[in-house]
Amino acid sequence: MTALTVLQVLLLVLLVMCGVLAVWLKDLLGSVIALAAGSLLLALQFYLLQAPDVAIAEAGIGAALTTALFVLAIRKTRRKEEE
Amino acid sequence: MSVVVRTVARLLLAPVAIFGAYVVMHGHLTPGGGFQGGAVIASAIALVVVAFGAQRLRKQKKTLSVLEDVGATAFAVLAFLGIGVTFFYNALAGTGGLFGQTVPIGPNPGALNTGGLLPLMNWAVGLKVLAGLGSMVLLLGLLGGDDDR
Amino acid sequence: MRWLRIAALLVVFGFLLGAAVWMRPFGEPLATGMDDHFIERSQEEVSANNTVTAVLFDYRGFDTLGEATVLFCAVLGVALVLRRWAR
Repeated sequence: MTALTVLQVLLLVLLVMCGVLAVWLKDLLGSVIALAAGSLLLALQFYLLQAPDVAIAEAGIGAALTTALFVLAIRKTRRKEEE
Repeated sequence: MSVVVRTVARLLLAPVAIFGAYVVMHGHLTPGGGFQGGAVIASAIALVVVAFGAQRLRKQKKTLSVLEDVGATAFAVLAFLGIGVTFFYNALAGTGGLFGQTVPIGPNPGALNTGGLLPLMNWAVGLKVLAGLGSMVLLLGLLGGDDDR
Repeated sequence: MRWLRIAALLVVFGFLLGAAVWMRPFGEPLATGMDDHFIERSQEEVSANNTVTAVLFDYRGFDTLGEATVLFCAVLGVALVLRRWAR
């Protein structure tokens, strides 16, 4: 177990926590923020696995563009999830 | 959007766009390329749409459409340049002209004037991706008229 | 029905865990002929230092062409659907 392995396992655990948080939150804006954070963690994981191309694509599309699309969609509908 | 979002967007807009242009320009030397750089520049457009409202960019729909057409056409034309050998043959590599400098074999720091058709194709794909993703975000922002809050 | 769902979830989780445990070691692919060709020849054939870009735009150019087509179709669909309401 080197330090890199520990960091990667920690990143994956945080990624799963971000995914659970995105499903669990009732506030849809918070859910989108959790998805963006998970996407950023995934980009860092790609960088650690020596794939910087995929890391830039993931950070650009997953963390920025998808978040913007979701925020625009929430702005045009409702913010709270209903039962 | 609030004052905080607008101020941070004003600060971040130029660095994000410049970094995207850098990623596209140095696609044949550093990690990244047309698709990634275009996505980064499109995220700058998304920043404007989210922070300042889509109405501010309403006139730019035509510009983005023209940019998309230019990118797609340039990519196809550059692919046809090497049709004497095969489709997608790199006709400019190693000829000494534009982007035609040869690289030494093995690890080297790299020069900007290498790669043949690759930098031009990076620019074409970058323009295409920037216009495509940007116009998608812009159209969704314009949906339903002006409701910036 | 509830127990069926949980059992299905456990089976999927088991498959994923097995795939994660018995995955091939990172950076050791089975067939290396094509990779070695790209890594050794891309500097003299394409005169590019970045092998990834050389593969993306030269050796596998049709892949990028298909990706551009997919993006164009997506933008076309969005524009056709939203054109009437986007003012």
